[in-house]
Amino acid sequence: MKNHSEGELVDNKIVSTWMIWGFFWAIFAPAIGILLSLKFNYPDLLSTQYSHFGRLRPVHVNGVIFGVFSTIFLGLVYYMVPKLTGVRMYREAWSKYAVWLWNGTLLVALLSVLFGYNKGLEVAELPNPLPLGLIASLAIIGVQVFMSIARRNEEKIYVSLWYIIAALVWTGINLVYGNFVVPYAAPGVNNAALHGLFLHYVVGLWITPAGLSVVYFFLPVAARSPLYSHKLSLVGFWSLAFFYPFVGIHHYLFSPIPAWTQTVAIVASVMLIIPVWTVVVNFFGTLRGNWSKFHDDFTVKLIIFGAVMYFIGSTQGSVEALRSVQKPTHFTDFVIAHSHATVFGGYVIWVLSACYYVWPRVTGAVFHESIAKTSTWMIMLGISGMVFILTLQGLIQGTVLMEGAEFVDSIVSMKPYWLLRTLAGITMDIGIALVGVNLLMGQRKTGIEP
Amino acid sequence: MKSARVIALIAGFGFLFLALAVQGIFPYVMKEAGPKTVTRTVRTEVGELTAIGSAARPYTALEAQGRAIYIREGCWYCHSMYLRPVAGEDRRWGPVAEFGEYTHDLPHLFGTRRIGPDLTRVGGKYGDDWHAAHYFDPRMVVPDSVMPRFTWLFTKDAASGKQVLNEEGKALVAFIQNIGMSRGKWRDSFPYQILATGASSIQTEVSLSHGKAVYLRRCVGCHGEKGDGKGSAVSLVLFRVAQPRDFTTGAFKFRTTPSGSVPLDSDLFRTISVGIRGSAMPPWFNLPEEDRRDVIQYIKTFSRDFEEFPPGPPIEIPRPPKPTPDLISRGKKVFEEMQCKECHGAEGRGDGPSSNTLKDDFGNRIPPANFTTGIFKSGPRPEDIFRTFMTGLNGTPMPSFKDAFTSPDDGWAITFYVLSLSADRGK
Ligand code: HEC
Ligand code: HEC
Ligand code: HEC
Repeated sequence: MKNHSEGELVDNKIVSTWMIWGFFWAIFAPAIGILLSLKFNYPDLLSTQYSHFGRLRPVHVNGVIFGVFSTIFLGLVYYMVPKLTGVRMYREAWSKYAVWLWNGTLLVALLSVLFGYNKGLEVAELPNPLPLGLIASLAIIGVQVFMSIARRNEEKIYVSLWYIIAALVWTGINLVYGNFVVPYAAPGVNNAALHGLFLHYVVGLWITPAGLSVVYFFLPVAARSPLYSHKLSLVGFWSLAFFYPFVGIHHYLFSPIPAWTQTVAIVASVMLIIPVWTVVVNFFGTLRGNWSKFHDDFTVKLIIFGAVMYFIGSTQGSVEALRSVQKPTHFTDFVIAHSHATVFGGYVIWVLSACYYVWPRVTGAVFHESIAKTSTWMIMLGISGMVFILTLQGLIQGTVLMEGAEFVDSIVSMKPYWLLRTLAGITMDIGIALVGVNLLMGQRKTGIEP
Repeated sequence: MKSARVIALIAGFGFLFLALAVQGIFPYVMKEAGPKTVTRTVRTEVGELTAIGSAARPYTALEAQGRAIYIREGCWYCHSMYLRPVAGEDRRWGPVAEFGEYTHDLPHLFGTRRIGPDLTRVGGKYGDDWHAAHYFDPRMVVPDSVMPRFTWLFTKDAASGKQVLNEEGKALVAFIQNIGMSRGKWRDSFPYQILATGASSIQTEVSLSHGKAVYLRRCVGCHGEKGDGKGSAVSLVLFRVAQPRDFTTGAFKFRTTPSGSVPLDSDLFRTISVGIRGSAMPPWFNLPEEDRRDVIQYIKTFSRDFEEFPPGPPIEIPRPPKPTPDLISRGKKVFEEMQCKECHGAEGRGDGPSSNTLKDDFGNRIPPANFTTGIFKSGPRPEDIFRTFMTGLNGTPMPSFKDAFTSPDDGWAITFYVLSLSADRGK
């Protein structure tokens, strides 16, 4: 069966299959998030042995990282790589194994967590040997990508490809490391140190380079203007590659982990301002003199909004790595604000924005402008409100605790904010769900350029 | 192809392994990074507290099972397990975490979020009864809690018809009660808890209504709306160690006032702050002082005794002397002369000849204290032990020996003898 007509580079069928899975996860994982959020005010809501907070939280987090974000991103890889190399994906027949292996494994693994199979390490919860499925899927994709690059028709390797290569190498190693080394190596404090590194490799060496590759590709093509500066993008790449691997220990400041490794992590975290700045400057520069696109094009609109959230969230991240800031804010919702601003506000929004560009081109279907508009507003309002509320909560709870408030009293003072957070979360989650629904319900029309 | 390989090798492998080596492996192989010894507070042969260095012991099979349940239920998403030397954490929860305490932890359970309190120092903070009631329904004992219920850790007890922990539940409690225990008896010298003292407030309408609000948020699940000790927790979950006090009787155990008298406000303040170790009664030293003072005024309204029979004169507790081996052997002699062993047993194990027959005023069986456990309901300071046998424990068979002593020296002798029974020998 041919999935694309003669002369076309992209395997449309595989891109849309990844995306459909992505839309499914984009409804599923945030919905779990809403339930979790509601439990802060109604802890007994739908609470059973298999659906209490402690069982659902990892499903939400892993669902967002490996479900929503990764699935859509991997679909986009199958779109970007052929376009950037000028050749079809190497061994296209392998693609369907990768997509089913990834999503099938994830589904089984998340269900196992609900049933209590949990390795006890944040973001490495999925029970062994199931992560092997994810790793095998990445290995397949990795080989396809590398071989396609080896056979490319284009001389230059565009920065998106750099990021894709790095992300695949890093994460292949990291998933082996986190799932099959950390749980068995070095008990005690050293285990926390090793795990801290893994934890941030997931964010910094998977989500970040993957997400950036998407924006570097889709912002110029959607805005129809060339990238502002290639040099800047390379500065960004190498500074990210150099500093990001060192930041993980900042999750455990003031712990018995040797203080100098904590200091290294803090310095690296602050240095991450460099790649963040280069990225943001580059994105805004690309749109210079071309801001009308921001109004007409959903891809551009969402990418730029995502860049703002990314900037806010990443700056917050660098600041919250400082010891003085961690005193009150660590362990509070301040950190949760940071993770939602970056992972959701930045990266998930970016991959969703690319769907508005890619989906009509791979399926030939057009979506409803009005629904897209509503959904975009809901996403933007929801995530902004949520990040604002959570940041405030962290500052308030952290301060009252430092002043010696009784712990449960500090929880009571959080309850009204938690309710508002849930409302913001619901708004944003309906917004994301609408993206998928809108695209899936789009009417087939001919005449859209591929 | 050259530059793709460069990216993969330098950025992909190079920097990643560099970081892993610098921050993960290097500190691990450096020897000064991993002190195995833990500061452990122990009781000496003469009943004093002192700190020594010792290594953490591995988990027992039961504790390891409990730890697995802790991981399975995701308790660690809401509870961190390390205390920082900042933000007053060493005042709120206990001494700052040390490297050696984690020697046997795989995977580690540091945690990154505190939806609930840190648990590094939770071992021994509450009695097993509290944990049972709390896991069955946290909101019974802490109405504002957002912690989930863990009802599948329970079975119905045939005799009482109430909930008791099943095998998994017992394992979890064994694990929780062991957390931080490599630090030994640190809590017995934790000043913020055991030295809590406060002035009393006057009974006014304001203090009473505030006191009632505090009571309904903190105490009602055990002591009940009417103060009769029949809260929802007790009616659903079996309390094995002690029933919550029925405040309507006016009988209070821990007092400086004579036997039979109601306690002073300061006595209640101390009890409420320190808690009653081993029983379900939590320590409340973290509550604002005003909350504690006002809830005392409210508790006092449950019994008319406080109005009708003002408290008798409190006993004088002189400063304890420095214990010596001579004092201990003298204490042993007095202990035997005074017939303490009738109930507490010759070695203080709570197994004296009449130990099986004792009942409290409410008809519940009440075993005499086993002094070798080192867990003292009345408090861990020499003054607390001294006070207890001088004034007796109202409502229990534990009598007042105030008139039996001719000099306070004998009292101190017996006090330190009692404390020396929980000496950490050979550890
Ligand atoms: C939704 C988050 C959440 C989960 C999951 C959770 N707890 Fe809690 N826990 C709390 C909160 C909030 C408190 C404070 C209020 C209270 O005492 O109930 C608390 C209090 C506690 C305390 C008392 C700590 C102290 O110092 O007062 C213990 C012990 C405890 N939890 C144990 C557990 C165990 C064991 C589990 C897993 C079986 C667990 N918790 C799961 C939120 C949680
Ligand atoms: C989880 C159950 C529980 C909660 C909650 C609780 N208590 Fe208690 N309380 C007990 C038990 C059990 C005893 C009896 C212990 C014993 O006699 O060994 C007790 C005993 C007491 C006593 C008697 C001390 C004496 O001298 O005899 C006082 C006073 C008291 N509690 C006050 C409070 C106050 C005030 C609160 C709320 C701030 C509170 N309790 C909350 C279980 C609880
Ligand atoms: C008639 C029996 C009886 C005799 C005699 C007796 N006790 Fe007790 N004692 C008890 C009981 C019962 C308790 C436990 C009360 C409780 O759990 O609330 C107790 C508790 C105590 C406690 C409190 C321990 C704690 O947990 O804080 C001390 C101290 C104590 N006894 C010392 C003595 C000394 C010293 C003597 C002799 C001078 C003595 N007792 C004689 C029955 C007795």
